[in-house]
Amino acid sequence: MNQENKCGNNCACGSNGEKAAPVGDQGFSQLGDAKTSRRGALQKLTLGLLTGAGMASNSCSVVGDDIKKEKSSLQWDEFFKDNYRLMSKKEKTATVQRLERLYELNSEKKINVSSKGATENVLFGYAFNISKCQGYMDCVNACVEENNQDRSSQMQYIRIHEHKNGQINFELAEDDYFHEVPAAGHFYMGTQCYHCENPPCVEACPVGATWKEEDGIVVIDYDWCIGCRYCMAACPYDGRRFNWQEPQVPEAEVNKEQHYLGNRLRKSGVMEKCTFCIQRSRNGKNPACVEACPTGARIFGNILDPKSDIRWVLDNKKVFRLKEDLGTEPKFWYFMD
Amino acid sequence: MKRSWIYGIVLIYTVAVFWSCSDSHQKSGLAKIQESTDTISYDMSNFAQVQDMEIAVVLSQIEELDSQFLVPTRAREISSFPCSNCHTKPLAQLKAEKIGKSAHWDISLAHANKLSMDCSTCHNMEKPDELTSLTKNSISLDHSYKQCSQCHSTQFNDWKGGAHGKRLRGWVPPRVAQTCVGCHNPHKPAFEKRWPSRLNTAKLKQEQNH
Repeated sequence: MNQENKCGNNCACGSNGEKAAPVGDQGFSQLGDAKTSRRGALQKLTLGLLTGAGMASNSCSVVGDDIKKEKSSLQWDEFFKDNYRLMSKKEKTATVQRLERLYELNSEKKINVSSKGATENVLFGYAFNISKCQGYMDCVNACVEENNQDRSSQMQYIRIHEHKNGQINFELAEDDYFHEVPAAGHFYMGTQCYHCENPPCVEACPVGATWKEEDGIVVIDYDWCIGCRYCMAACPYDGRRFNWQEPQVPEAEVNKEQHYLGNRLRKSGVMEKCTFCIQRSRNGKNPACVEACPTGARIFGNILDPKSDIRWVLDNKKVFRLKEDLGTEPKFWYFMD
Repeated sequence: MKRSWIYGIVLIYTVAVFWSCSDSHQKSGLAKIQESTDTISYDMSNFAQVQDMEIAVVLSQIEELDSQFLVPTRAREISSFPCSNCHTKPLAQLKAEKIGKSAHWDISLAHANKLSMDCSTCHNMEKPDELTSLTKNSISLDHSYKQCSQCHSTQFNDWKGGAHGKRLRGWVPPRVAQTCVGCHNPHKPAFEKRWPSRLNTAKLKQEQNH
């Protein structure tokens, strides 16, 4: 560790001595002696390399704009924060506050970003009644609005597939139906992220940016994702979506009740997907799709609670899951009346 | 002699390896479900948002259930309730007075068929503020699911359990279940065909560009 720090120190002094000048005031020897993690060292090293010019122009200018200064300092801290899973409670609160403040500085509107953790003895599960779904697509609308999905590329987590009666074949299913529903002789089946107990997407991620939370929700740290899309390829259910561009959400339509691992605003080049509306479900509410469904085809709850609706469905209805042979153990069951 | 020692050690080693493997395996989700049979008590301070949702509810009255759940009230949702405000006299008498079309004249029954149902199958002709069962017992409008359950027993069972209908106020207990009439118009209970509320226009645009 020490060696690494020393090296970092040397490099900064040696080749970039000129650029790093404004930071020099803090005392390089202090920096070098302090025990820092690899990431911390990297941060300090880059501090010297990158902000020389920026800091000089910002902090030394006579007409220094306070807001600009605050913003750049917040962005700086945001850029060098840790993976969410490694953060302490304090760090989580800090990053959430930074995100709220940054949004306020950018748009003069307040948002509420939560870092609420899982509740003990809760494992979320979902059931979908294929005899009830009528293909109205109200769930998709609710999902897009709730989760601040990109309007310009029409990103949708949920897909509703129109199957002919008597077969479940997703290659023959109609996903872009354009007629009154329900169509005679057809049934409808919604797919989304199944929050597998054994999620292949998590295995595939090379940087640990996606994982399964205690309550069974598979989440993504949008600030840790490198956008390689391995998870997208690994998911056997087409559950994941990629932001090819900066998501566009009109300011008036932004859902301001957000969660760090859920519907907070994403950026270009990161993965996202259904989080069972983590910002809602962790507060005891049903996901937006469940609430919006006019037919009651969607059932959500705690599968560890023997008195929950979802458990009644699992215990009393004939349920099935997709591609069970893969051993992914989705927590998303289909059933019929 | 030496060989049997080696065999013995290899055997013990293999058993140990398998034992440790099977032990270290995470319990599958399904196993967790089967094991969890104890009632879970929730710390409601965790779910303050749900408790803030204001829905007028009453406790259900389902005879065969040990623990009842909550259902939204119905009577106060009906704009001209109590019915007895207008229905001051028996219906035949009101009709004889020829008041004409004043209220709910536009209701036509599209529920089962004329052989089995008319207004008086559900509405109490003597007490207009109440419903009536098949055996002429009165049923409160707040508990109209009792009325429906007389014929639709399968749906009623699913609703009681949680497979039919909708949960109001989130997944966390106490359970607030939407009643039959919350989704189905009792005079025309079937869901209607309609256009989906959105179309996959991105796909349509792509097709236009081709």
